[in-house]
Amino acid sequence: MTRAADPQSYDYAPYQGRPKIVWPGNARVAFWVAPNIEYYELAPPPSPTRSVWYRPEPDVINYSMRDYGNRVGFHRMADVMAKYGVRGSVSLNVAVCDHYPEIIERCCELDWELFSHGIYNTRYLYNMTEEQQREIIRDSRETILRASGQSLDGWLSPAISNGLTTQDLLAEEGIKYTLDLFHDDQPMPVKTRNPGRLVSLPYMMECNDVPVLNFRNISPRNYLQIIRDHFDQLYEEGEESGTVMCIPLHPYLIGQPHRLALLDAALEYVTSHSGVWLATGREIAAHYEANHYDQFAGWINSINAETAK
Amino acid sequence: MSEIGSDYFHYPHRRKGLDHDRFDRRYLRDIPARNWPDGERLKLWITVHFEHFPMDMPAKPFVPPGGMDRPYPSVWDFSTRDYGNRVGIFRLFKVLDRYGIRATAAMNSEVAERYPLLLQEILRRNWEIAAAGVDMGQLHHSQVEQAREAELVAQSFGTLRRLSGQAVTGWHSPAHSQSAITPDLVAENGGKYIADWINDDLPFAFRTRAGELTQMPLSWDLSDHKILHSQSMPVTDYEWQINAAFDALLSEAQEGGGRILSLSLSPWVIGQPSRIRTLDRLLGRFMAASGVASATGEELRQDWTSRGE
Repeated sequence: MTRAADPQSYDYAPYQGRPKIVWPGNARVAFWVAPNIEYYELAPPPSPTRSVWYRPEPDVINYSMRDYGNRVGFHRMADVMAKYGVRGSVSLNVAVCDHYPEIIERCCELDWELFSHGIYNTRYLYNMTEEQQREIIRDSRETILRASGQSLDGWLSPAISNGLTTQDLLAEEGIKYTLDLFHDDQPMPVKTRNPGRLVSLPYMMECNDVPVLNFRNISPRNYLQIIRDHFDQLYEEGEESGTVMCIPLHPYLIGQPHRLALLDAALEYVTSHSGVWLATGREIAAHYEANHYDQFAGWINSINAETAK
Repeated sequence: MSEIGSDYFHYPHRRKGLDHDRFDRRYLRDIPARNWPDGERLKLWITVHFEHFPMDMPAKPFVPPGGMDRPYPSVWDFSTRDYGNRVGIFRLFKVLDRYGIRATAAMNSEVAERYPLLLQEILRRNWEIAAAGVDMGQLHHSQVEQAREAELVAQSFGTLRRLSGQAVTGWHSPAHSQSAITPDLVAENGGKYIADWINDDLPFAFRTRAGELTQMPLSWDLSDHKILHSQSMPVTDYEWQINAAFDALLSEAQEGGGRILSLSLSPWVIGQPSRIRTLDRLLGRFMAASGVASATGEELRQDWTSRGE
């Protein structure tokens, strides 16, 4: 396989002069929360590309840190979200359906969406053939259907381990939206090798608890400030054209007792505003696909034509 | 490009429960809501780490938190850590004495051997001695020969029992790091609890080849070491987070039953003049609250196992 220097999943499209996005109820911001409900294996098979654990296995501190989310953090997080009427769109390692079925039952009771984040967070797409990646997508689709009755509409690659053609495969397998691209604050059409209508949704790493709390060592109270500032700006811009705000979460981090209050305060802040559409990933992608996909695709074509002159 | 074999699609542990047999799946919210036997709702478990970081400690296979930051011979790193055993701990003694708190002393056995005067001060206060390996340069992980690790565990327990006269039932692995057999060795040496996994806020039963241990919820995310040293946060953010954890756990205990707030303290970190007053303020607030009492790890283990859960 030749090495690509650009994923080639999108054309350049400036954040000005865009078609106007109109959300249901003329909301300014489509707000969604994406809890990552994950399973990391204690003894995963080795990957040729990325070592899974940081210490010799069993890496007790790192494995158990993540296991906290399923044992303790999930229900705490779900309680706070339910308090504010915020449904989750779950980035799910689908093996959780097998290991922790009670968690999936609660997600269904709360009317949350389940989408795929691979089988385990310790099994990467790296080095896989297209057929092998399709097998992961098929397994995800069947497991989510069996556990919840839901269709598989969304995708975030496990541990964000993309292959060069992963986005093409998602479109061909009937996935509606992808979170693997971080190029935009609005939904966008994804370019794929075959005609299809794959939407990229903003999955905002700036508000994701893992990079904020774990990689960048930002304190909980400063994380709360980031979320408020992020929202304030998107809310202001949403007066002109609909914006999207996503808070990606991990119950092993946000469900800790010293962080729960920040989630409560963040959701209280967002939901106290009028003009906020409390949506799921599937709902945002479907609305965009039905109402704005063609507008955006046409506008991007006109930009391309302009550029080519 | 390396290929992925069919074993990468083999999921031998994909079933209800964990992917190993050390303990069962359990959700914190499903634990019967019962207060501690003395009627209290929240137990404050203070663990003070007594550590010896040899200047020639190995950097492989991983550097433990608090390991030498600079090239050998790093007198700066060595003496900064040893400061805790000379100066910082005496500030800690004063603060904990003020509130009548007896702590668990998680000791490298090397500290007890090197500093008999320090051991006397601990025993005079009737603190609990728990074994924390031999020193911070001799970590427990699966690249250590099993016979060698067995010697280390026996040496730690044996030395601490001989010098303290206590039963020494607790074990904390340096850097929360275990090999695949560390819990078995602890049980074979008469230990009754381990405190290395960070996946729960309450104790749980942990299987070994020599019978059952209790895994105690010693915190890492809330440790002074992680927040103030590893994450380099200001002490005001330490205070914010410890207060938030206390509030969340005490609130949860109103309906959820007894909880534990585990504070993990390193005298060389929290015992600095600029930080010790923060700890004083925190403990003053906690110990004045209704429904709160302090306990050692072994006391909590006995309370927990007496519930028969």
